[in-house]
Amino acid sequence: MTKKRETEPFLPLTPAMFHILLALADGEKHGYAILKEVARRTEDKVRLSAGTLYGNLARLENAGLIAESSRRPEVGLDDERRRYYLLTEFGRDVAVAEAERMEEALGQARAKKLFRKPKLA
Amino acid sequence: MEKQTLPFSQKLFRALVRLLPFDFRTNYQGEMEGVFQEQQREVEERGGLLGALKLWKETIVGIFTTAPREHWQILTSDCGYAFRMMRKNPGFTAIAILTLALGIGANTSIFSVVHAVLLRSLPYPQANQLIFIRQQEKKLGIEDLSFSVKEIDDYRSQNRTLSGLVEYHAMSFTLFGHGDPERVRTGVVSSNYFDMFGVQPLLGRTFLPEDDKLGAPPVLVLSYEYWKNDFGSDSGIVGKTFEMNDKVHTVVGVLPPVPQYPNENDVYMPTSACPFRSSKAHLHNRDMRMMEVFGRLKPGVTVTQASADVSAIAAGLKASYPKSYPENVGFTSVAAPLQEELTRGARPTLLLLLAAAAFVLLIACANVANLTLSRMAKRERELAVRSALGAGRSRLLRQLLTESFLMALAGGLLGLVLAYGSLELITDFVGRLTPRAREIHIDSGVLLFTLAAALGTSILFGTLSALFSRSNLASSLKEGTAGAGTARQQNRMRSALIVCQIAFSFMLLIGAGLMLRSLIKMQQVNAGIVPQRVLALRTTFTWSKYTSDDKTRVAIQQLLDRVQSEPGVLVAAVSNRYPFEPEIITGGPESVSFSFQVEGRTLEPGQSPPVSTFAAVSPDYFKALGIPLKEGRLFAESDNEKGPIVVIINEAMKRQLWPNESPIGKRVSNDGGEHWGTIVGIVGDVREFGLEHPPIPEIYAPQKLNLSPGVLIVRTAVEPRSMAKALTRAVHDVDSQMAVSHILSLEQARYESMASPRVTASLLGIFAGLALAIATAGIGGIMALMVSQRVREIGIRIALGARPGNILQMVLGQGMLLAVLGIGIGIAGAVGLTGLVKSLLFEVPPTDVVTFSGVGLTLLAAAALASYLPARRAAAVDPNVALRAE
Repeated sequence: MTKKRETEPFLPLTPAMFHILLALADGEKHGYAILKEVARRTEDKVRLSAGTLYGNLARLENAGLIAESSRRPEVGLDDERRRYYLLTEFGRDVAVAEAERMEEALGQARAKKLFRKPKLA
Repeated sequence: MEKQTLPFSQKLFRALVRLLPFDFRTNYQGEMEGVFQEQQREVEERGGLLGALKLWKETIVGIFTTAPREHWQILTSDCGYAFRMMRKNPGFTAIAILTLALGIGANTSIFSVVHAVLLRSLPYPQANQLIFIRQQEKKLGIEDLSFSVKEIDDYRSQNRTLSGLVEYHAMSFTLFGHGDPERVRTGVVSSNYFDMFGVQPLLGRTFLPEDDKLGAPPVLVLSYEYWKNDFGSDSGIVGKTFEMNDKVHTVVGVLPPVPQYPNENDVYMPTSACPFRSSKAHLHNRDMRMMEVFGRLKPGVTVTQASADVSAIAAGLKASYPKSYPENVGFTSVAAPLQEELTRGARPTLLLLLAAAAFVLLIACANVANLTLSRMAKRERELAVRSALGAGRSRLLRQLLTESFLMALAGGLLGLVLAYGSLELITDFVGRLTPRAREIHIDSGVLLFTLAAALGTSILFGTLSALFSRSNLASSLKEGTAGAGTARQQNRMRSALIVCQIAFSFMLLIGAGLMLRSLIKMQQVNAGIVPQRVLALRTTFTWSKYTSDDKTRVAIQQLLDRVQSEPGVLVAAVSNRYPFEPEIITGGPESVSFSFQVEGRTLEPGQSPPVSTFAAVSPDYFKALGIPLKEGRLFAESDNEKGPIVVIINEAMKRQLWPNESPIGKRVSNDGGEHWGTIVGIVGDVREFGLEHPPIPEIYAPQKLNLSPGVLIVRTAVEPRSMAKALTRAVHDVDSQMAVSHILSLEQARYESMASPRVTASLLGIFAGLALAIATAGIGGIMALMVSQRVREIGIRIALGARPGNILQMVLGQGMLLAVLGIGIGIAGAVGLTGLVKSLLFEVPPTDVVTFSGVGLTLLAAAALASYLPARRAAAVDPNVALRAE
């Protein structure tokens, strides 16, 4: 209950935010990797630019949904400027809540047999 | 190719990133550049211009959507924070906002005047083409000579620079057919007058060329105000007829509500309808001057060119009519922009007031900066903690500026309310200086000014306080307690601000003090009359009724006899004008001056003839006004049309023309020696054109020889205004059609004549008082703060044997030191600014020692008073408590 109350103010997430959280769900990533992952997974439908990416990262970080990781990859593979981001517990909660919200909406759409209806011109 | 594009694209990307807030950049710029480089590399690998363009598009859109969002987020969080801080310190917030409101309000209200009067162009189409033409007799010191009909014709036909030239003169006529006989202010104008100014009638029409022809049926155009107030905006007014000057006049139109220059009138008539302007004397005599002349420049012509043009015409007139324009008067003519002409009188006063208002705002800024600094001392830990938590310095500066801007904005709004409230008062005041006063209102220009003032103010005091706190954030954390080094540095800053406040207050007080001293000097001046219990009434003899001089003479005598018999009347007289008469003060001595010659004296070539003002008075005029006889005799009833021509002169004329001999028996002439008047008496000087004007030569002639009974002057045994009704009735007993107006006691007239310097002094006084209060509170505040910061040190001093007296002296001394420094700078500033007040002062030098020392002492006393309370508290420090407290 308490968790739900906390996550609620963040819902619905913007698609960019949701995909960033998803990209971090399976491990820490640096900015460019997040951007690539989102593009790959959405088949280029959600394309983040440097500005929107870091705008969103900043807001997610300020809200405590993600955090900067203190772990660095091995020397040599690391780019000095890169920072790695990880999904926080709370961020995971918010992502789950958003997914649940979408699932519920999807269920309702199905119940209304929305998908069988022909597209309106 | 690649090597060249890469650095450029990076540069471009960096430039785009600069749009983001500073802190954001500090955090992410490096990473963003990395990401962008990788994206570029990817695009290059795939090749293709399209991919590169798409990347740029996405990047640009991304930054442009992110940047405003980030800035907005900072702004809202700063505002929220600022509101919380303001709520937490309601006392500080209230004082700061009020101080700023006073400063911004004073500026807004003065600016609304400057904007309307000096900056905005006249409310006519292509107003910058409108000019005012002045004839001058330079060698006689006459700057503004009116025009005769002949001269107007010459300028109109000979000029090559004007697309229009019109004349104007103001008259007072009696209008019948609308209730009681009513004296209406009448503007007599050329038929193209309104066309030239570009004024379209609200109803009906304005004048047509045929209205100007001699003998044309008389027509009238009503002013909007007269139509609205006296005829209840009667839409059927056009075509109605009224009787004026024994002729039926038809109303042909109503003017829209435009400001009327140069005077406000009730009705306008074409030149042909004015019985004086269309008289033979005026039509044919080049020397009968009565009119003012305005013109409109042809497109592309400058005022300088027009001025050269009219001056060339004047030179031509001089050559053609040497009798009318003798070489020794220095006749010429000039053109000036109409706007400049209408605001000439107001300019120095308004600029002085604007400077004074700006000073008040500067003082307010310094004071709020000081308040903020004091509060910052308490907030230093909080700011340092925030800084340590990662808030960049510019982030803190930005937040402090947001706080100050919000306060300035609140102050600005309140200031606007204050300005709005004072608008009527200020319009009334400026009305005495310029006919443009009625245009004063708070419009978008003024609002913009207020906003700019608020913004400028917040930047000024916000930066002052923020810059300072920035440099000390690091140290405050380390020092733990109120750090000695920081505090000392801050106190130095605060002291500097206090010194500035005192310096500006000093300058303002000097300005107000000088004006006040001027006013007192003016009030102490001997006007040369005894104004107590004297009433003046304008009486308009309907000229068409008194067609012969004999009829007029009889009427004057009847009037005087009837008024004399009224209980309470001591002495009665008639004349054409009286001292301090508002119209005469506006017109100046030039309006009643003429040049003359003295019998037996010839002028050297190039020497100008003497000039004198002139009044036609009945024998008791001098007695009624209390003007003393100095030599010879006053006029008698026998000085009339049957006897020899006699005149009385004043002492100023004796001093100028007969310094070492008696002028009694000498003769003067103003018509080239055709008639000579013998001087029979010398009376005291009267400062009738305003107390600030030194007496000038004057010639009095008997009323019976120069019939112009415009004013009835009555010395009464009782309060003069209480007799207004009885006297009006007495006038109507003699002639029920005689309009009585402008009833004014001489004391009122004298008081009114000083209105402009009095209001200037009052406004400056208010500003200076505000400044003094703010500065005094500032000194008290900073001394109290210093004492509280130094409790420990003071405790140690006392513990080491310092006596309370020493401590008192120490604190007082510091307060006084600030005051002395401020006064020192203030003296330098005031001496530097003397040019601003010089022209407004009367018999007081701008570096008046009395004012300077008085103001200096006042400020010292205020500083001493303000420092005394904190000093006493310091002296009462208990060393035990003080040392334990730390």
